[in-house]
Amino acid sequence: MTPWNRREFLSAAGLLAAALGTTPGRLLAALPAGEAPTAQQSALLKEVSQLVIPRTTTAGAGEVGGGAFLSLALAHGLKGTRAPVKDAPAGWPLRADGSLRHDLWLQQDLNRRAKGDFMAQPPAQRRALLAALDAEAFPAGPPPAQPSPWRAIKTLILTGYYTSEEGGSKELRYEAVPGRWDNDIPLHKGDRAFSSDWTAVDFG
Amino acid sequence: MTNHDFDVIVVGSGITGGFAAKQLTEAGLKVLMLERGRPIEHGADYTTEMKTPWEMPFRGEGDAALYARDYPVQQLNRHFTEFTQNHFVNDAQNPYEVGEGAFTWFRSYQMGGRSLTWGRQCYRWSDYDFGANKRDGHGADWPIRYADLAPWYDKVEEFVGVSGAKEGLAQLPDGHFQPPMALNIVEQTVREKILKQWPDRCLTVGRTANLTEAKPELGRGPCQYRNICMRGCSFGAYFSTQSSTLPAATATGRLTVITNAQVEKVDYDPATRRVTGVRWIDTQTKARKSATARMVFLNAGAFNSVHLLLNSASEAMPGGLANGSGVLGTHIMDHANTLSAAAIMPGFEDHTTFGNRPTGIVIPRFRNLDKLDGDGFTRGYSFQGGALQSTWTAGAREAGIGEDYKNHLREPGAWRMVLVVFAESVPRVTNRLALSKKLDPLGVPQLEISFNHGKEELAALADAKKEAASMLTAAGGHVIFGFDRPGPGGTAIHEMGGARMGHDPASSVLNKWSQAHQIDNLFVTDGAQMSSSACQNPSLTYMALTARAADYAVTRMKAGAI
Repeated sequence: MTPWNRREFLSAAGLLAAALGTTPGRLLAALPAGEAPTAQQSALLKEVSQLVIPRTTTAGAGEVGGGAFLSLALAHGLKGTRAPVKDAPAGWPLRADGSLRHDLWLQQDLNRRAKGDFMAQPPAQRRALLAALDAEAFPAGPPPAQPSPWRAIKTLILTGYYTSEEGGSKELRYEAVPGRWDNDIPLHKGDRAFSSDWTAVDFG
Repeated sequence: MTNHDFDVIVVGSGITGGFAAKQLTEAGLKVLMLERGRPIEHGADYTTEMKTPWEMPFRGEGDAALYARDYPVQQLNRHFTEFTQNHFVNDAQNPYEVGEGAFTWFRSYQMGGRSLTWGRQCYRWSDYDFGANKRDGHGADWPIRYADLAPWYDKVEEFVGVSGAKEGLAQLPDGHFQPPMALNIVEQTVREKILKQWPDRCLTVGRTANLTEAKPELGRGPCQYRNICMRGCSFGAYFSTQSSTLPAATATGRLTVITNAQVEKVDYDPATRRVTGVRWIDTQTKARKSATARMVFLNAGAFNSVHLLLNSASEAMPGGLANGSGVLGTHIMDHANTLSAAAIMPGFEDHTTFGNRPTGIVIPRFRNLDKLDGDGFTRGYSFQGGALQSTWTAGAREAGIGEDYKNHLREPGAWRMVLVVFAESVPRVTNRLALSKKLDPLGVPQLEISFNHGKEELAALADAKKEAASMLTAAGGHVIFGFDRPGPGGTAIHEMGGARMGHDPASSVLNKWSQAHQIDNLFVTDGAQMSSSACQNPSLTYMALTARAADYAVTRMKAGAI
């Protein structure tokens, strides 16, 4: 694996952005060899995204490019995912800079739970294995000293989905120019939230 | 008298630079406004304003790798996003040093400066504020009181367009307001419950420079309730240099603007004891340029105006321009700022709102007014914040995957209310600016900032945490967390002081007209002039002081005294 080289990567991304106009697809294509997801990893991230946010009346996260966004986001360190990990448990796949390869960790952890290839499991089993991983990442009581890397991955899956056109404007509502402020209106069961409520997004 | 290129040179194009240029050109003077950053044209250059998250390469979150390299400080600002990053400085290209303590310096070097990225909150100061230094002995007494500034607040508010509710409070005087934006149902309920228990505590909607009524004479439309102001607003619905003061100044035909001009020195002639002009570096060509003027207004932003005075030291004024007192650079302030309380607010599950109100609420100061009732502090604090419903981002803190989880995130979440405190920063000689030995990329000495909050601010924040929890609990909320330690200096983005106003030339830099004690034709009308910090957002006061100083300067110039 080619070691991560921030300067090389940034300069490649910068050149591409200048030459072609930046798009997520182009940024993903510009990732250095060691950071670019393999076909197997891409398939896993897409599947996991879809398991978190599946198709209902609207498409799921995997279907709208959630896996690709996740790869890009993890390589660029969104939500602190490129910070060096202190006291990492043995076996965690770390980069030379001490940060965790979240995608490889996820692959390892799911395969461990599957006692084999996670992706080779039947759909219901894949869902159950991921649900178990998810539940363990949110233990009751005070937060653990070493939070599960899954929490950052899950955050980025949500980000990828609800900032996509499908998640942001079909699953939720998007109003670019509300034009008015209604300070108190009834909320009915099933009314959808606004992905364009920036304060709510910000404060969660 | 020699010929001058201009009547006045205004250094800086932000909130006060724009106001100075407007007032001075409208008074008939020929003005050069210098801006160190790039030009930004109203509307046309707000390149991300209409973008959706799915049109952005990093979905609005931004490229964390780029931010770690080039924006390590700016990215700490909650409002710094992929949509707004082009309205903040590149830290790598604009370095500064921290001496003692810590300071996060949030900056916008561009046409309009931080008028494009400000929080828009507009609050008058009162005599509790102008009298604060005299009352407890910290800092130097202000040479002005509320009555000196009240007519200028009137004029400024009228031009800016401030929406807000009149409440008749002595500590937060009413102004000339456009109709207020309404409180939501939770905030309205909390207001009533707080008032019932504490009649002296008034939760009201934020007084904000967002129009609720159009100003067609200025080409400004009313707020569209998007709450994405910092991307730039082509409706002109919030006050900025671009939407308001620049068009007014340009319309006079007497304004010249030069951008990409980093002013390096103000020239001083010891024979006449006057400043004669300024020198700057063209940041694109690196060429050194200069212009002369009968008068200079410094509006570079509090710390940069002080930097410029320090860097303009000469044989005649070796400690810095206009620094006969030796206090130049000292007594800098911010506000001590933290989240005092966040609470779940049950009982409103069948209520919601439509639109994004671009302001929160304020609970004005209630401590140390007529009675000194602060435990370990003699100044004030106030709360800002608001009630909101959570949305999909809350899902990141919850266990769950699959259909039920997705359906749960589809609906607006629980109502919550947050109270963020802004506590007055005591002026201290040890909090100060100095020139660093390190140079910036253009070869100019960097600014070195030394800043620590003191025990008074910590005592105020401890009290604020307790009172915020009491009020939200009394209003029916369940407090989930709160803090009483301030963020580093600069967190409130209200940095000010360093060239304080005072009665005495031996202990202050400026007189009551924002005019240098030692140099009649030099004015500093941005945040540098502040002698104390109050606990209100300061921009409105800077603008009122600027308009007042400009009027005085014009009168003196026309009388031949400057």
